[in-house]
Amino acid sequence: MHKQDFEQLLQEQLATLDEHKQPERDLWPGIELALVKQHDEARNVHYLNGTAQPSKNNHTREVSKLVILAAAIAVIALVSWKSLVPSEQMITGDELVAALSAQHEEQKSALLVQYQGQTALTQNWQQQLAELDSAAVAIKKALENEPNNMALLKMLQSVHQQQINLIERVHSPKWSQA
Amino acid sequence: MTEYSNVVAAKHKFATDEERQLLLAVKNGNRQAYHQLYHQYIGQVYALCYRLTADRSLAEDAAQEVFIQLWRKIGDYSEQSKFSTWLHTVTSNITISYIRKQRGWVQRMFNIEDSSAANHIAEPSAGEVDIEKYVTRLPERARIVFVLHAIEGYRHEDIAQMTNMAVGSSKAQFHRAKKLLEEWMGYA
Repeated sequence: MHKQDFEQLLQEQLATLDEHKQPERDLWPGIELALVKQHDEARNVHYLNGTAQPSKNNHTREVSKLVILAAAIAVIALVSWKSLVPSEQMITGDELVAALSAQHEEQKSALLVQYQGQTALTQNWQQQLAELDSAAVAIKKALENEPNNMALLKMLQSVHQQQINLIERVHSPKWSQA
Repeated sequence: MTEYSNVVAAKHKFATDEERQLLLAVKNGNRQAYHQLYHQYIGQVYALCYRLTADRSLAEDAAQEVFIQLWRKIGDYSEQSKFSTWLHTVTSNITISYIRKQRGWVQRMFNIEDSSAANHIAEPSAGEVDIEKYVTRLPERARIVFVLHAIEGYRHEDIAQMTNMAVGSSKAQFHRAKKLLEEWMGYA
């Protein structure tokens, strides 16, 4: 067979290559989460670069910290307890997601009640909270297919944490803490 | 201009205007518009990532990285070229850098190439040729140069810049890729 034939066949074959190819998994939830994180980090830098003076009253912040700590301990205790029971009763990924979500909702509601009536620093914080909610929904959807995916579970925890940070920051910014 | 070419030109203008609106919204930070842009271009981005990495999982991660970085870089797009052309350059650069980061330390230390594919002689096929499969079997450097030159249409000078190799090396890798394809396709 001749070299010229090869060159021609190669050109023909290259021309038939698909310009489009779809990935097997949906990449958007991961992208969206990274964008939310970027946004959040940028905002953190903005706050850290702020010129405002620290305030004396950090009681609210301390209470929030205790709530978060209690919630974290409760989740760890739940996971540990579940890991000690016989294998047929082992916690499943679904149960862990449900436990994390329930715990987070409780924690979030407690904070929102605590800050009720206080003026928030930014106008669009509820929109940001809703964006984080959508990210959490997307991750939970992905977890339905891969309930034991640790990376996704960590992402979900991270989004939950960002919501808590957001609520705290807009109501009790870093510069107002002692 | 004939009536047909007028219709084609109008359709093209409409598509361009629509894309311009979408890009403007993305530049203004509209996340929904970005999701739409993602749907529009994920096929192209993933296809290029897959050809460069030759691995589904790496390609998915690289495509994700492209869209994460694109959100920040999109302000750099100046409309001097078609958006898809610019996006292909961004995708190539990010994917090549991603491949570099993913390489194991052994490979980096000893400059070992993924030569298992090159050593494996594919069976020459008498009938159908799956060029996509053959391209993914090429050794890494030969594959990257082949994809960028033969499929994406970059000059060896551009490829040399993108991959940090000499122009001569780029040409040599392209020659190597073609030799292997020639052999695998039963022409050697």
